Amino acid sequence: MAKAFRRQGKGADRRYVATLDADEREIVATLMEQVADLLEAPDVAGTGDARFDAIVAGMTFSGDPHEATSRGRTAGGGQRDPALDRLLPTANRQDPEAADEFRHLTEGGIRHRKAAGLAASVAAVRAASGDDVVLDADQSRAFLTALTDVRLVLGERLGLHTDEDVEAVEARADSSDPDDPLVYAVALYDFLTWLQETLATALLRR
Amino acid sequence: MTPEGDVAPDVPWVTIVWNDPVNLMSYVTFVLQQHFGYSRAKAEKLMMQVHTEGRSVVSTGPREAMEADTEALHGYGLWATFQKDS
Repeated sequence: MAKAFRRQGKGADRRYVATLDADEREIVATLMEQVADLLEAPDVAGTGDARFDAIVAGMTFSGDPHEATSRGRTAGGGQRDPALDRLLPTANRQDPEAADEFRHLTEGGIRHRKAAGLAASVAAVRAASGDDVVLDADQSRAFLTALTDVRLVLGERLGLHTDEDVEAVEARADSSDPDDPLVYAVALYDFLTWLQETLATALLRR
Repeated sequence: MTPEGDVAPDVPWVTIVWNDPVNLMSYVTFVLQQHFGYSRAKAEKLMMQVHTEGRSVVSTGPREAMEADTEALHGYGLWATFQKDS
């Protein structure tokens, strides 16, 4: 059973510690790796676990097969994964030219920094001492944003575009067959939300 | 960097954070503290404005600075844009 992030120690020795079992750590690490792959390469390498890969690499749960491809065009007019548009959103809603220029200048750097933060977080999870994931100050900030990036991708896969969508998807998962992939995806999303909330709360300054 | 005809130097630019259903209220508050150095009270006020009104102006200044803020906020996963103040 997972235990929330909490603070330990003071000053430079301050650590943020969560207790996650081996399965939970593997889920967190693998999702972070898959999002890093999504950011770094056009073709995502699979893990061999089809259910897992489907969540990150393009299955939608909204019931509308066209929804995933009807939005999110690249500057060149081609289509790209809408999850990338959640990770790298339009920077100017009034001026498409300024938005394209901004994307041209910044996207590579943002992708690289996100992938680096995800990789550092994967390493921290894999370096757990027993079941304790122990993060120093720098690692905790990278981990917090890595959790955001994973939740943005999962949220896009779940069709979460408004606050109302969240309630609707949770309700659908509650009334679905336990073997429905939606139930698994929502359970992952809820677990990561809980984990992130506990870390964000531990990190907030007074 | 400034396009032709876009030369009103006294019109400031703004960085806007938009509401989205994924980012947690605690996380948005953390990011506003972390990136801008805002107090907890100011960060929470701006976060609540995003949450209840759908958007909030989180910084004001020259275009280049607003672009830098937008880039940093995208790095944190927030839905940020820059535009001329209206």
